[in-house]
Amino acid sequence: MFNPKDIIDILAENVKKTKNPFGVNKQKINSWYVNEDLPDKGEYLLFTGLMYQMIPYIEAVTSQLGKIEDSKFSKYSSLGRFVPRSLTNISLNALISKNNVDFSNEVLKSIITLLKNSNIDFLYSPDLDQYSGILLYDLGDEKYFKAHARTVANTLYQHNISKIITVDPHTTYALKVLYPKYIGINFEVYTYFELLNLTGDLEKEVVLHDPCFYGRYLELSHVPRNLLKNMGVEIKDILRNGKFTHCCGGPAESLSPKLASKIRENRVKQLKETNKLILTMCPICYTNLRKSTSNIMDLAIFLKDCVTT
Amino acid sequence: MRIINPNLENKLKKFGSDTAHICFNCGTCAAICPLFETSFPRKFMRYIQIGAEDKIMDEKLELFKCLHCGLCTSSCPKGADPGEVMLGLKRFVLDKLRRNQDV
Repeated sequence: MFNPKDIIDILAENVKKTKNPFGVNKQKINSWYVNEDLPDKGEYLLFTGLMYQMIPYIEAVTSQLGKIEDSKFSKYSSLGRFVPRSLTNISLNALISKNNVDFSNEVLKSIITLLKNSNIDFLYSPDLDQYSGILLYDLGDEKYFKAHARTVANTLYQHNISKIITVDPHTTYALKVLYPKYIGINFEVYTYFELLNLTGDLEKEVVLHDPCFYGRYLELSHVPRNLLKNMGVEIKDILRNGKFTHCCGGPAESLSPKLASKIRENRVKQLKETNKLILTMCPICYTNLRKSTSNIMDLAIFLKDCVTT
Repeated sequence: MRIINPNLENKLKKFGSDTAHICFNCGTCAAICPLFETSFPRKFMRYIQIGAEDKIMDEKLELFKCLHCGLCTSSCPKGADPGEVMLGLKRFVLDKLRRNQDV
């Protein structure tokens, strides 16, 4: 396991400098929209929070951390500091996997298709779409989380944004719960699947992996279930679901890839008991769980495939 | 020799953690935690109750293993909110490390 302070200080410094935890230019991370026909006016702002777009970077860093975890290098704090810092600045771009970039782009483009299909009046502005700072909050760095969140919330407020569509549980929690609590700015926040209006007769069966933030903190587990039921999809629920869902292990990856893998194995075992396609709705959950199973899909891609075929 | 800090829970209040005294140490949180580690997070609740600040600092690396998944909080029969207590402890430890530069 790495020294948490080393990792947190690097992440905080990067967020301060570049507004994302990897110290990478935002245009490099956020380019999925370039060839999309996206409205610049609308009732809701689509705010991705860059979580899906950061997946290739999270994977690149954690795969390297995994190689040196518990090796002689990680035992020396000075080297422990040096290694991750160099990863975020120098060699990171060479480690980005095209598959991870393609996955993130496909999810976001699928969400656009779904919002348009349900006639949701939304706009997208790359300038307003920013990282929420949630990782700093989860690691206990309240000071730098608040500083970052304040700039994000103020920018949205200054642009008269009041209604927001989010695409992942972590950003949703930050905007819906943490920003009002810590910054005092309230937005009307909906995750994309809360706004969709879809029906069908699909006769498919799936098992849902509820992310901790949708299942417990935001109590939204019933929403994707109702949506899927209306489309004719049968849900084979396992014991650990909804409010009592089981973590995917992903959040442990920045400090201990080994620990993340142990938790993931336990969760995948529970999900595999159903023998059904596993649906996730969080980029961290998807990326972590798919290391132990290929029978897994993001909810957005699943829904998009259903409405377009 | 261990030094006990009777004001530890008060000290933790400014880090958003003020429910550890509600815990009656039943161990449900440790039984349900996905980390499957002995007495985690239960022992940290106990350390706060008895003012064992030194022990918390000694075991600070372990503290950061907490995933903040919230399952312990959802399952706690007393409403002692172990998940948020753990987050408060992370804030407390990080603040202390940054002040002392003690790594």
